[in-house]
Amino acid sequence: MLVYSIIFPIVSILAIGIFYKRFKNGKNSLSSFIVWTILWIFIFVFSIVPDASSIFARFFGISRGLDFIIILAFAILFYIIGKLYFIIEDMQNDMNKIVKEVALNNEITLEDEEE
Amino acid sequence: METIISKKDIHNTYVIIPAYNEETRVRPVVEGIAKKGFKMVIVNDGSTDNTLDVLKDCQKKYPKNIFIYSHIINRGVGLAMQTGFEAVLKYNPKFIVNIDADGQHSVADIENVIEPLVSGRSEAVIGVRPLKDMPKSRNIANSIMNFLTKIFYNVDVSDSQTGFRALTIDALNQIQINAQGYLISSEFIREINDNSIPFEEVTIQTIYTPETQSKGTNYKVAFKIFIQMMKHKLFG
Repeated sequence: MLVYSIIFPIVSILAIGIFYKRFKNGKNSLSSFIVWTILWIFIFVFSIVPDASSIFARFFGISRGLDFIIILAFAILFYIIGKLYFIIEDMQNDMNKIVKEVALNNEITLEDEEE
Repeated sequence: METIISKKDIHNTYVIIPAYNEETRVRPVVEGIAKKGFKMVIVNDGSTDNTLDVLKDCQKKYPKNIFIYSHIINRGVGLAMQTGFEAVLKYNPKFIVNIDADGQHSVADIENVIEPLVSGRSEAVIGVRPLKDMPKSRNIANSIMNFLTKIFYNVDVSDSQTGFRALTIDALNQIQINAQGYLISSEFIREINDNSIPFEEVTIQTIYTPETQSKGTNYKVAFKIFIQMMKHKLFG
């Protein structure tokens, strides 16, 4: 048995457990829990039955199963990076609004100094 | 013939100064402006040195001329200017001037940049630093930025990255500034152009010291501005 076929399923089970716990504690939405669980199930299946990736590869017109996994991994990574970029952008804008409002509502005067 | 700036014009002019970590340079700028009788809205942009204390000290000396606002964290010169533009509206100014806090601009030029506004010739002014006076690296970076401003914003100016500008209250009410960092300079020019606000270039004196050169448009900043311009063009 190859090392990855032992490590990846363990990591997958742990990851699903972590996401379940986060969902239970209300830190993750149901949709994000389902998406991540499906992803980790895929990793679990592909690491135990590597040939399973060939079935998906053929379905999408890709010749090798490994190519399918690599393309899928890149697609997921780009999606996550894009999503994080927009989240950070929104947070930056929110932060700017707060910083500006706090400054505008708190003019520094000589009276403040005396207090 | 040049219009003479009256005391009333000076009284109606507010100078906005964004300041970030300028504890050693800001005092002469602020006191120089106060001595001339102009009022100032100074935005401390989350400085980590004693800039705010220096400003408070200046305010004690010139309480009627200095109004201070402070960002709790550093957010960039663009946001500091946005805060300044919003804050200045409280004081009903007629003319608004922007000047850098690092002492690279001559306080004596304030009258020169507001003169076209006072005379009614234009609604906005950009203070142009002669490219030949700039250090070589700065000169090249600015030339590139002038070119990019022309390409992206379709405005041809001699100094797109100047921090010395002036505008009337009517012009201020027409423009919309969203830039957070140094993109503000190009964005200001774009807004002036897009709103068909008559503007003029006025040559200003620039005082370059090792300290003043450590900030402003170098290659790294120019690259960042370029990326932001692309983003604005692509995503609005």
